[in-house]
Amino acid sequence: MTASSEISPALPVEVPPVAPAPGRRRRQASSVRTRVAWAMVAPAGLHALFWIALPVLATFALSVTNYSVLAPLRFVGLDNYTRSFGDPIFLTSIWHTVVYTFFTVPVAMAIAVFFAVLLNQQIRARSWYRAAIFLPQVTATVAVAMVWYQIYDPYSGLANKLLAFLGITGPAWLADPNYALPSVIVMGVWQGIGIKMIIYLAALQNIPEELYEAAELDGANAWQRFRQITLPMLRPATLFVGVVSIIGAFQAFDQVYVLTRGGPANATTMMTYEIYKNAFATFQMGLACAKSVVLFVFLFALTMLNRKLSGGGEDE
Amino acid sequence: MSSRERVNPRTRVATHVLLVVTSLTMVAPFLWMALTSFKTDRDIATFPPTWLPSSWRVGNYADALSVAPFDIYFRNSLIISIGHVVLNLVFASLAGFALARYRFRGREVVFLGFVALLMIPTYTKIVPQFLIAKTMPLFGGNDIFGYGGSGWVNTWWGLIIPGAVTPFAVFLFRQFYLSVPHELEDAARIDGLGEWRIWAQIASPLIKPAFVTAGLLTFQDSFNNFLWPLLITTDDNKRVVQLGLSVLKESGEGFTTQWNLLMAGTTMASLPMIVLFLLTQRYFVQGLATTGIK
Repeated sequence: MTASSEISPALPVEVPPVAPAPGRRRRQASSVRTRVAWAMVAPAGLHALFWIALPVLATFALSVTNYSVLAPLRFVGLDNYTRSFGDPIFLTSIWHTVVYTFFTVPVAMAIAVFFAVLLNQQIRARSWYRAAIFLPQVTATVAVAMVWYQIYDPYSGLANKLLAFLGITGPAWLADPNYALPSVIVMGVWQGIGIKMIIYLAALQNIPEELYEAAELDGANAWQRFRQITLPMLRPATLFVGVVSIIGAFQAFDQVYVLTRGGPANATTMMTYEIYKNAFATFQMGLACAKSVVLFVFLFALTMLNRKLSGGGEDE
Repeated sequence: MSSRERVNPRTRVATHVLLVVTSLTMVAPFLWMALTSFKTDRDIATFPPTWLPSSWRVGNYADALSVAPFDIYFRNSLIISIGHVVLNLVFASLAGFALARYRFRGREVVFLGFVALLMIPTYTKIVPQFLIAKTMPLFGGNDIFGYGGSGWVNTWWGLIIPGAVTPFAVFLFRQFYLSVPHELEDAARIDGLGEWRIWAQIASPLIKPAFVTAGLLTFQDSFNNFLWPLLITTDDNKRVVQLGLSVLKESGEGFTTQWNLLMAGTTMASLPMIVLFLLTQRYFVQGLATTGIK
């Protein structure tokens, strides 16, 4: 249910052939098994149809209506879309979503790959370091956002108290339109490093040792080996991490809700927050669905782009 | 895993220094949270700031509990999370088993359907999900057409059922069942064991790690979920821990924040996952590394 639980499209999808079962007894047995198989798939399948497939279709259908819980439903064509793109706050929210993604994803990825390489050595306390870096990912976004809400407090927050040590008067962070979005971004980077590092660590362990040994024989130094072997070999992982992270970042909501409620003066509002406001604060469900479709189109385009970049089409 | 070369001692020390500093930076907000939760109001306002409380005020936790009913929130969070884990493990593993082990017409379509639905972003389904829950016929005062009442809003049904089975878990289980050999199952069939018992007693015990991984990830998603409980609950008897924090955030006079109480609540809200993670790190890391979710 959470925005974070989406999965990447890059997973392998293969259905292995099963040998046909000849003979009458086998055939009878197989018809029994077919019934059993359907009975086993049915609960999960019907649940997915009712709670995922139906809502997705409904989102598209409702996006061309004026549906609000209060008024009767009426077809309005593309009105919700023209209204959305004519609304400067929604356009701002798209911009903020893009800025948030642009800064959190690559920065966290760079940090993640660096520490993945460090932790890929046999060093003492390795699993403790890994746990510490991963910890922000395990805890609820709402809870860690509450902690950052305190850190950013202008008077008693950790950030300004540390700055005061250096003789600097810190800004009001979340209440200052110039600092609010960067503040949300910093928390996003901090929270996002862990999972990226874990995926990179798994990818690093698949790089054959011989490549490094050969390079070493050729006299390549550590930096050259990193540039010429590690980075190229990590390319599939990088694409994978990139797309999953972008999809996640586009759906950031909890931290915005806790830290700023989209403020001050819409300085941190994101597409998800606008959808939430339209649907559940002003009950303009049709309008909210149109904005959901816009968000979906962004994510769909990114997914397709990834398939193309990662040499998709192999599985066709 | 590899130690390719004999790293010289100076590099080794530098690496450790860097890792310690980074680890502390990552953990610092949690330490600050825990320490602030024991501070007095005066400690919080004081300058220069101190990491440690001048006197440890355990009473903040009792105060937080009196401001917001965290015992009820915890009960609710656990009911929902454990409900999700049980339902997901049973129904997703059944579906994953059928998709991995039986050959039947439509299997490929069903499987690709699950894969497609697993990629659907939350925000492409959340509004209608809420509307479906609200207009659930014959629930919460609704008539047969779903009008007149509140349906599944603020009910256990509404909190648990919509997120109970995830296509992701179906996918994960299918991959795991594919990876174990058939022979035991075939032998069990010859011994006359039924298909359901083969699933329960023969195949599933072979993939225990999959159950642990899927269970942990389901628990984490459910316990940490904020948006759905926010939409579907209307009173304290159904609210969950993550929502309860918002109550503490504005508990002071004039909706100000009593930081020590908020941090006490936040500590309570995050501690279960932190402990669970530290105890089961291996499964978390394996599960996330192989699937890349989150």
